[in-house]
Amino acid sequence: MGGGVTVGAEVWERRLDTPRDVWAVFLQARTRDPHVHVGDVHAPDAEMALVLAKENYARRDPCVTLWVVRAAEIHTTTQDAAEMFEPAIDKSYRFGGSYRRQQQVYRSAWRLSHRDEDQ
Amino acid sequence: MDQALRPQEPQDDPEQLARFEQRIQSGDQIEAGEWMPEAYRFEAIRLIQMHANSEIMGALPEREWIPRAPTLARKLALTAKVQDEVGHAMLLYRVAETLGRSREEMFAELVEGRARFHNVFHYPAETWADVAIIQVFVDGAAMQTQGALRSCSYAPYARVLKRICYEEDFHIQLGLDVWRSLAEGTPRQRAMLQDALNRWWTPLIHFFGMPDKVSPHTERMLAWRIKVKSNEELRQQFLRRFVPIILEYGLVVPDPGLRWVEGEQRYVYTEPDWEELKRVGRNNGPKSAERLALRLAFYRQHAWVREAMTQWAAA
Repeated sequence: MGGGVTVGAEVWERRLDTPRDVWAVFLQARTRDPHVHVGDVHAPDAEMALVLAKENYARRDPCVTLWVVRAAEIHTTTQDAAEMFEPAIDKSYRFGGSYRRQQQVYRSAWRLSHRDEDQ
Repeated sequence: MDQALRPQEPQDDPEQLARFEQRIQSGDQIEAGEWMPEAYRFEAIRLIQMHANSEIMGALPEREWIPRAPTLARKLALTAKVQDEVGHAMLLYRVAETLGRSREEMFAELVEGRARFHNVFHYPAETWADVAIIQVFVDGAAMQTQGALRSCSYAPYARVLKRICYEEDFHIQLGLDVWRSLAEGTPRQRAMLQDALNRWWTPLIHFFGMPDKVSPHTERMLAWRIKVKSNEELRQQFLRRFVPIILEYGLVVPDPGLRWVEGEQRYVYTEPDWEELKRVGRNNGPKSAERLALRLAFYRQHAWVREAMTQWAAA
């Protein structure tokens, strides 16, 4: 894994340890979709990498654009550092679903105040 | 790969090993570049390299039938299928590479006859009916193994297998169409199909290997999820799915000893000659030498393409 950035004793970032002729292929299936890593190809340059990517990853299923990038240029956080994505505190305040209780309160309050009109 | 290459006893750090095993046990998968026991790396490379070799060698028997396909539609479909197989080899060599072997090294081992590929690709494809058998039953057998391995512990392999199984399903559907047209055809076509099935039956039973011995090695492979189901489980799964297809079309299963045991929910079959499997596995099958020579000839013939690509990129 060597050559990563170390914080304390932990390596949390490294470059992908990949031969130089390996290109990562990202495929966009439909215009509004994100590009998704679908695999790699071996090629001496970007042009050939795109040709091989088309032959290998776009034979039958939909594809509108392909990206290729030298895999060895990709930096990644390490699996060891996966904990850093775990929320340190309760982040329920970031989710709409957390506010349902409040909506229920409003709704029941509204029903209470309109009870007479219903009858 | 030789037995001699197997590492003696893994010299792994016990703390890392314990952490690794705990992760696998909790259903976690291992990504490329992460720590793994040496024995795990060894077995994973062995499995994936053998799979990659089998895909590229598996393209050869069917390839023989592209120029002789009976209709244009069949020719197009067969070409697409063969192209898929070569594509699978490409994906798999790349996965094996993430475990520390170079593609050149693996390819050299294959063409020099020092590596292994699946037993079924050492046999001839004599008639058009063989194409149907290969597409339905050989791909069907491979699908049992590969389908199970989608839940294996090496994530890059599991991801590639999803894609491979998706394409293998097309191969089986295509094969069933060829199978159906022959099985519903003239008496001569039906006889041709039965003859192909008779020749392929033993290699198909061999495909999954001998029933696993209960050994610490097998136990460990299962615990590490490099193996997901036992050889016999996979063979039974295959028989349950594919014997009915043979019977449905009024053809004969070429094993008089085959019967379904209701109480055990399994097929009993005649024990095949396992020596043949060992012989074929060591590249001494009826077509081993010829196919390896063909692979090598193509590899040499295409050397100029690889060179030209590199020169072009450098220019």
